[in-house]
Amino acid sequence: MSFFSWAWDWITQGANWHGSGSIPPQVLAHVGYSGLSLLIAALVAVPAGVVIGHRGGKAAIVVTNFANAWRAIPTLGLLTLLAVYFGFSPLTWLLPLVALGIPPILVNACEGVAGVDPGVRDAARGTGMTTWQQIVQVEVPIALPLILVGVRTSAIFVVATATIAAEIGLGGLGRFIIDGLASSQYAPVAGGALLVVILAICVLALFALISRLVIPPGLRDQGRPQ
Amino acid sequence: MVLVGPSGCGKTTSLRMINRLVEPTEGTILLGGADIRARNPAQLRRGIGYVIQQTGLFPHRTVEDNIATVPVLTGWSRKKARDRARELLTLVGLDQDLARRYPHQLSGGQQQRVGVARALAADPPVLLMDEPFSAVDPVVRASLQDQLLSLQAELRKTIVLVTHDIEEAIKVGDLVALFRPHGTLAQLAPPEELLAAPADDYVAGFVGFDRGIRRLSFVRTAGLVLGTGPVLPADATVAKALAAGEPWILITDPQAGTPRGWADAARLGALPGDTTLGQAAAEPLGHTFTVGTDSLRAALDAAVLSPAGQAVGVDGDGRVLGVATFDQLRVAIQAADAADDREGPRS
Amino acid sequence: MMWSWIPGNWSLIWQLTWENLKLGVLPALYGLVISLPLGIIAARWRWFYPPTLTVVNIVYAIPSIALFVALIPKFGLTDTTVIIALTVFSLCVILPNVVEGMRGVPAAVTQAATAMGYGPLRRLALVELPLAIPVIIAGLRVGVVSSISLASVGQLIGVSSLGYLFIDGLQRSFPTEIYVGLVLVIVLAIICDLILVAVRRALTPWLARS
Repeated sequence: MSFFSWAWDWITQGANWHGSGSIPPQVLAHVGYSGLSLLIAALVAVPAGVVIGHRGGKAAIVVTNFANAWRAIPTLGLLTLLAVYFGFSPLTWLLPLVALGIPPILVNACEGVAGVDPGVRDAARGTGMTTWQQIVQVEVPIALPLILVGVRTSAIFVVATATIAAEIGLGGLGRFIIDGLASSQYAPVAGGALLVVILAICVLALFALISRLVIPPGLRDQGRPQ
Repeated sequence: MVLVGPSGCGKTTSLRMINRLVEPTEGTILLGGADIRARNPAQLRRGIGYVIQQTGLFPHRTVEDNIATVPVLTGWSRKKARDRARELLTLVGLDQDLARRYPHQLSGGQQQRVGVARALAADPPVLLMDEPFSAVDPVVRASLQDQLLSLQAELRKTIVLVTHDIEEAIKVGDLVALFRPHGTLAQLAPPEELLAAPADDYVAGFVGFDRGIRRLSFVRTAGLVLGTGPVLPADATVAKALAAGEPWILITDPQAGTPRGWADAARLGALPGDTTLGQAAAEPLGHTFTVGTDSLRAALDAAVLSPAGQAVGVDGDGRVLGVATFDQLRVAIQAADAADDREGPRS
Repeated sequence: MMWSWIPGNWSLIWQLTWENLKLGVLPALYGLVISLPLGIIAARWRWFYPPTLTVVNIVYAIPSIALFVALIPKFGLTDTTVIIALTVFSLCVILPNVVEGMRGVPAAVTQAATAMGYGPLRRLALVELPLAIPVIIAGLRVGVVSSISLASVGQLIGVSSLGYLFIDGLQRSFPTEIYVGLVLVIVLAIICDLILVAVRRALTPWLARS
């Protein structure tokens, strides 16, 4: 049988939709953990990235060089390390999820703002805007497409890492995968995997919608996987 | 005032010190008698218009919102600011329906005009322009320069303009500051003085080799003496023309008085005496110069192009007032020189 | 931190490191080999690129564990599964870079090459690809670094890599093992990244050193 048939059979089985560890609560849990982590990461990384991008200088160079380094950190390693020290507590999963969610947003916010046309930045300063006004009224709106791509990348990454976090005991869709692997039952493994993929695609669609709504028509851009 | 000089001479830096985008290390700049350092930089800049070469239009805002930037910053309501923006669109010669477009939809020349409109929106007394026309092609540049001159005639603002093009400086400047390569001032003078009396070899070299003739653009033709001897209407006869004793005859229209062409007396001699001038073959005019408003340079140019070696002077309606030979032009040029020497250089 | 554990388990550590390296480098190389022709096609035939990019964006959003799991029925709980999945992810990063790299070659340069008599194949091999190298290698770096890191997730489906140290460390509550794993993964990634930077320098002698 193929992956899809295993997954579809399992997902369409009514029993899997009722009860405490079933599909609906796990979907909600997954969305909850991911959403919270993403929110915190964005609240930290967007302002930091914007300010660093505006100022330029050494900090900006560090951030741009940092761009690839964060991908080297194995998520499983971070998760297991914190689990060994803190057992199963919110800290063990929240910290890695937020920490790994910050870099894509930070880098993109920094590059987005730093990449604003120098003539435009000069004009913003020259027409008499204060630093705050320059950043908020000119630089951030122009950098918005890149910032959104960064947040989207981070969202995908957080959803994926939350899945793996089931290994250290976190709830969510990863539970089906990890528990299924442990008990050699392929059906829930396939089902959980397909659900995660669907969730990821929904996240992409959500961001596509947000982009369309939020980005002014003067600036429509092409995003790339980051 | 135009700041002109070679690359790296500090003209842009000097300009940017006026609105404190660059802080001076020494010396003071007074705006309206007050030290600019006494004021908050952002506040200062809202009272000074600023136009740059790359326009720096905000790509995420419409044209009218771009123009409305400073008014909105100083607290105007958005509606009032947008109305003002539309006024300015007309002032810089752009169509009202561009107001809702985005900058990337406009041509280079149009974007520059929007940049100027944005600088003028809050009606600042001072306008700073940093190589505003360097990035557009020569035809568009000439029309933008003309527009700037007519705008200035209407608005009477204090404008400081930076350019690397000496021709632009001479064309638009009331006062030109010519810089040496490392930032010292070589000469500060009106353009005609720069052409007539360059301070040293560097200035003379920078200004260009035919400055003698270019200087004539600044001398009016009002006092020029014109002769009417060779001027005859088309219904006069060949015999009468030959009797005038001129080597060339200017044939004019009997009703309108406008010039039609030059006729060579030698060729006329071959025709029967009672032929009218209108029937004789005439050579093309070249171009004419308008007496009083055109410069001596235009008159000299007309004389050079004319087959007769004489410039045809007309009035505002095109009627011939007379002709000027090279000799008469020379007299006028020397008279202008003498007048300059008597009055001394203007500052 | 129990340092003495390391020399005692040297052969295990070495073997896992080697496994992880294979699982990281091979997918990136396969990804490059597939991306080059696809990227050249996408750069030449413009209409091909936007749909390709959309597919790439969607595929890249798939969590690695899900793709591993999806390949199990066909390829089992083996290295192959992990390598194929990681090749797909590397492709998602390298392909856009191949296209961007080639598009980034100034039109003036390609036109000059054509005007001097280079046929399309020659021009591709001798002018466009060499000039696209920095951007392609930038994509390759991301591909290798991510693959090395993601390979550790393969441990969850039993494919051995440095991830073994994470799982084992978790089960035995033994942080030393996990630290060793973390450091080795990161060091491997840095070394491969530096090697690629050196390769780029060697291949592009005309660029200024920044």
